[in-house]
Amino acid sequence: MKGKNIAVLLLCLSWHTVRADEYSSELAYYQKFPVVLSASRLSQPLSNSPNAMTVIDRKMIVASGFRKIADLFKLVPGMYVSYYKDSQPIVAYHGATDQYARRMQVMIDGRSVYLPPVNTVDWADLPITIDDIERIEIIRGPAAASYGANSMQGVINIITRGAGDVHGGEATFRRGDKGINDVSTRFGRKGDTFEYRATLAYTADNGYDDLSSPPNNIPVTQFKASGLLNNSHDDNQARLFNYRANYHPNGTDSFDIQFGFNRDIQGVGFNDKNPNPSQPFSTNGNTFHDLTARSDFVQLDWTHFLENSSQLDVRYYHLQENQYEALPVYLGGVYFPGPVIQSLDTGRDQVQIQHTLPTSATNRLVYGAVLQRDHSSGFSSMPPIALFYNSSFNTDDYQVFANDEWHINRQFLLNAGGMFERDPFGNENLSPRASLNFHMTPQQTLRAGVSVAYRVPSLVEIYFPTVQPGALIIPGSTPTSPGLIPEKVVSREIGYLGEFLDYETTVDLRLFSDQLSNMIYLNKTVGKLVNGLSAQSRGLEATVKKSWGKDSSLTFNFSHELTSSNIPMLLGTADIWADSIPRNSASAMFSQNLNNGLSFSASYYYQAAMQPFDRGAIDYQPIQRRMDVRIAQSFHDFGGIRGDVALVVQNLFNRGNSEYIASNVFNRRSYIRVTANW
Amino acid sequence: MPFLFPQRVWSRLLQVFAGLLWALLLAPSQSLAADLDVLLILSGNAPPYQEFAAAFRLNLPADIHVSQLEIGQLENMDTLSRLEQKAGLVVTVGLKAGEWVAPRTNRPILLTMLPSYKYAGIKAQHHSDEPFSAIFVDQPWFRQVSLIRVALPGFKRIGLLHAPEDNLDIAQLRALLEHEGATLIAKAADPATSLYASLNGVLSQSDALLAVPDSAIYNGDNIRNILLSSYRQRVPLIGLSQAYVNAGALCAVYSTPQDLAVQASADTVGFARNRQLPEAQFPRLYNVAVNREVAIMLGIRIHSATRLKLQIEQAER
Repeated sequence: MKGKNIAVLLLCLSWHTVRADEYSSELAYYQKFPVVLSASRLSQPLSNSPNAMTVIDRKMIVASGFRKIADLFKLVPGMYVSYYKDSQPIVAYHGATDQYARRMQVMIDGRSVYLPPVNTVDWADLPITIDDIERIEIIRGPAAASYGANSMQGVINIITRGAGDVHGGEATFRRGDKGINDVSTRFGRKGDTFEYRATLAYTADNGYDDLSSPPNNIPVTQFKASGLLNNSHDDNQARLFNYRANYHPNGTDSFDIQFGFNRDIQGVGFNDKNPNPSQPFSTNGNTFHDLTARSDFVQLDWTHFLENSSQLDVRYYHLQENQYEALPVYLGGVYFPGPVIQSLDTGRDQVQIQHTLPTSATNRLVYGAVLQRDHSSGFSSMPPIALFYNSSFNTDDYQVFANDEWHINRQFLLNAGGMFERDPFGNENLSPRASLNFHMTPQQTLRAGVSVAYRVPSLVEIYFPTVQPGALIIPGSTPTSPGLIPEKVVSREIGYLGEFLDYETTVDLRLFSDQLSNMIYLNKTVGKLVNGLSAQSRGLEATVKKSWGKDSSLTFNFSHELTSSNIPMLLGTADIWADSIPRNSASAMFSQNLNNGLSFSASYYYQAAMQPFDRGAIDYQPIQRRMDVRIAQSFHDFGGIRGDVALVVQNLFNRGNSEYIASNVFNRRSYIRVTANW
Repeated sequence: MPFLFPQRVWSRLLQVFAGLLWALLLAPSQSLAADLDVLLILSGNAPPYQEFAAAFRLNLPADIHVSQLEIGQLENMDTLSRLEQKAGLVVTVGLKAGEWVAPRTNRPILLTMLPSYKYAGIKAQHHSDEPFSAIFVDQPWFRQVSLIRVALPGFKRIGLLHAPEDNLDIAQLRALLEHEGATLIAKAADPATSLYASLNGVLSQSDALLAVPDSAIYNGDNIRNILLSSYRQRVPLIGLSQAYVNAGALCAVYSTPQDLAVQASADTVGFARNRQLPEAQFPRLYNVAVNREVAIMLGIRIHSATRLKLQIEQAER
């Protein structure tokens, strides 16, 4: 605090000093400045990026009307977003549309939230709300050279609002169908060397509807035969807090401090397998119950600008999550109030150091190292079968990475780099990447690239429990599938980026060909997970953005994908990998600012029919078509308060789209959102 | 009357001789009309003044002689009066030189590199009928508005943060913007609170922020926060120089000291010919700069600097 006061005093002094010297006026035109928005601080322009990238910015987030972070990825060409439970989204890219989609790295401000032991993201327990997000950068394709381990099929990098982005107070209230009831308050202060923001939020909803009849014209008998009809217990409640502060005592150092937590309670389990007159002796090891989760994190970032405009970034973060469930079970028709108790603790400490160094006017080198320790421990107590087991793992992961960006001349840009990793299981993997960008004109760029990346097997894949009740998977203590090696992808792509200024239009096209190998699958004959699944996918992705002045814009995304795998050979079944990927998907979003603070946006989402990878035929997902609209009115001075009121209607035409689980039918829902700022 | 006749003849001859003598005496000064002594007075030794001086000398013909001084060397009046007696034209560079010299000489003066709003005040202190004119350092508002129109069509709310006691002609800027269908959000920074509170107030209501020549606000210490705030809020900064654009401003229309010197030397050559100076004027030579990386990251589609300059020139024709 003392430092801040001195800084304020100094500013006042300098203010008057400069005022006194009125002769400085013409020198104001000729003064020298440090380069603030340098290439190393700015994200790389898309036309210089070695990967295909989709950016979802704040404007799009607002216009989308979404209240769940995962839904935003519907705006990424080729991405699959669906729900196992209303609070358990599945986000997958180019396949692996399964409950434990795990082939994409997910980060918040560079902090990986892709966690052991299953190597997935607990979207319901993230310590941020959708309104804390400034923008999301989605790398489509492997990018280990820039984003580290497990960036196998892509990277989601969520960038939250900076410490100085909230000035004053903000309160948001959202209320609508399906028990939607969200309240959040945000507060921030911006000083000359110190700024902070904080969010305190509560979000709640009742999840999907309790179905009264089966969806998709499936007969009741068939639905019952599959043992699944209702998904009525998927309420979700989260209480979260996050804080971000930035201290920049001078022009060369910046310290960012973040911490936060989330306390989440979600309804899980299914009651359809409970004993009843038609199935008196059935077993249900996952009855209705609550899963409580607590996640906490702290992150420190130091950015130091050195001479010769090089930049040093040092990051440390710690995160931890505890998940707990206690549930009664039915065994052969007998009720055991139990309860079965499972608890899982996971955590991570990571230190990263990165140096961004312009070695010449045309060359920039980024290199660094990562040390990471993951912790995973848990127990499963199953009194009905007198079984108790626990396990504990501490694993270390070391990575070094480098990427060189060489502007060969005005037209050609070469990005070459790679990441070397020694993973927790002692595998050593090298993930190289190279891409050549050809600027045909300043507005037209062709890109050709090839990259390799790996996914380290998860603890659960190696230590799968012999009995798995409830919703959590607690790794066993002895390996069930030893000797698994990392999955590998080799991705080739040709991209085109065109900017047509006179038409206010940009076009982003990508042709890709991915070879996935060593993928892990369940070999039923040996009864364990093994490497050996291979798949190829080729396709086209397109994004076209058009604007009419500043107040009107249209974004259109399209993806066409053809894939095949060796599953027919491995399992003797149809190619369920190929069937699990929608051949075509598209999204479009139009937004318009009207006069007097009125704004309107409409979004349309299309997804071809598909069969989720790890579900039965009952969960076949027919063609999805969905239209969302948002209309908002802002006010600037309502008793000294500014803000807006918005109405969002999702699935306006009530298409009855069923999700990853057929009983998750997304019916029309609407909500009102009121925001006040002061 | 033969005596008288020759007398009249002699008288005529004498008149002719006298006329010839006058003609001979005056002729050199007529034929060497371009020969001029210029007294160049700089406001200091800062690089912009030095760059001006070098370019000014370089663009003058050999028969215009330049004596150069810095204002610090003119602390005693004797130096000035000795030098000004010889000078056909005094050219000042920068506000300080102009304000110091104008009331102290009655020689013809060309003030350069001074803010336009200071001109009337200086002229009022100058008591002489000799030619008096100026070349301003700032760009005219209509040129700034042209840049906004061609570079950022659709950006309708232009923010401006200025010091409380600034003499900027904000009314004229407002009128020009309104003519283009845009509005000006002008706020005076409140020195009692944080500069960033004021800045934030402007940024939150603006589509673009127009920098003003006030080093109390726009200086090397503050520029980081200003640019980061503008970048975060997706509000581009329109700067005042290439340095602003290098630092992270989206674009700028500006004149370098060399541009001003070229214009001043042309006016000086003209003065040497006809002893007249043009009206006080804004820079005739100017440049446009664009930071493409910033444009891309802000998601702004912007034409090249060359094309923007052509469009501004067309508008000014």
